[in-house]
Amino acid sequence: MITLTAPAEDQFKAPSPDELFTFSPIINGVDWFTKPVLLALLSSVVVIWFCWAAFGSPKIVPRGVQNVAEYGYMFVRDQVARPFLGKDADRWMGLLVTLFFMVLLWNIMGVIPVVQFPVASHIAFPAVLAGSIYVLKVYLGIKHQGAVGYFKNMMFPPGLPKGIYLLLAPIEFLSNLIIAPFTHAVRLFANMFAGHMLLAFFSMVGFWFLFEKLTPLGAGVGVVGVIMTIIFTGFELFIQFLQAFLFAMLAAMYIGGSLHAEH
Amino acid sequence: MSEQERRPEDDGQDFANAAWSIPSYLLAGMAIYGGAGWLLDRWLDTSAFFPIGVVLGIVLSVYLVYRKYGR
Repeated sequence: MITLTAPAEDQFKAPSPDELFTFSPIINGVDWFTKPVLLALLSSVVVIWFCWAAFGSPKIVPRGVQNVAEYGYMFVRDQVARPFLGKDADRWMGLLVTLFFMVLLWNIMGVIPVVQFPVASHIAFPAVLAGSIYVLKVYLGIKHQGAVGYFKNMMFPPGLPKGIYLLLAPIEFLSNLIIAPFTHAVRLFANMFAGHMLLAFFSMVGFWFLFEKLTPLGAGVGVVGVIMTIIFTGFELFIQFLQAFLFAMLAAMYIGGSLHAEH
Repeated sequence: MSEQERRPEDDGQDFANAAWSIPSYLLAGMAIYGGAGWLLDRWLDTSAFFPIGVVLGIVLSVYLVYRKYGR
């Protein structure tokens, strides 16, 4: 039971969510202005600059930034917009491309050295985006299918026996109007939160056992920590891209569902 | 959309819609009927309706998913 009697500062302590996700204000007295807010603002500026630089004066043969942006645009158009919006895809590309680049940049912030904080791991940020998409979805549904028609199409899909509607309508309602926007935000948040925790944990293991308290036995653990940090950074990059893609894809799916009644 | 207007890409879209809707439907079914059962249990001071409600909710959700996307 040596470990119990050893002084607390000699033991490895895993980083807690409180240490990782709570920030003090950057400017004293301005409580809302913390690191995540700064990063979110920075992301907006970068996305605006990026799109401006790429499409401000487009060339027929794209070069430099335009080349990269067109690649992203084509990806969003072919993988996100067209499968769900069909011939309406081009009208919604502005929103979807912005959404995709924005969320991607928020997420990538998690592995950029020094910055190292995924903005979406504070649930407020994805919640605002998902909430906006939710308002848009209900607005479009009412506009294109009528106030009664929208809820009728959603809660009473055609082709079911009459008596069962009474039992199934509440499920449709809860699933489409309450759980869908909730999972839209939480999916992004939870992935970024967990990813940041994992990266912080493994880099802490490496740092602690190789630099803070270097012992012959601990060195091996530290090396494992460093290797895991490198592997998980690559894995995180993949997850960050995937989650940005999924966020835009679900937005396109909700918009598409509101434009046309399900068949 | 009527049957004649269906394009080949609709099938992929249906599949994606189904894949993303199923967990949501299952959760909603469990929550609605499990919740109703739980309330009934509280009211009548029993403990049987909550599990019955959860199972009923799952059955109804699976039925809904099957009828909407299964054919």
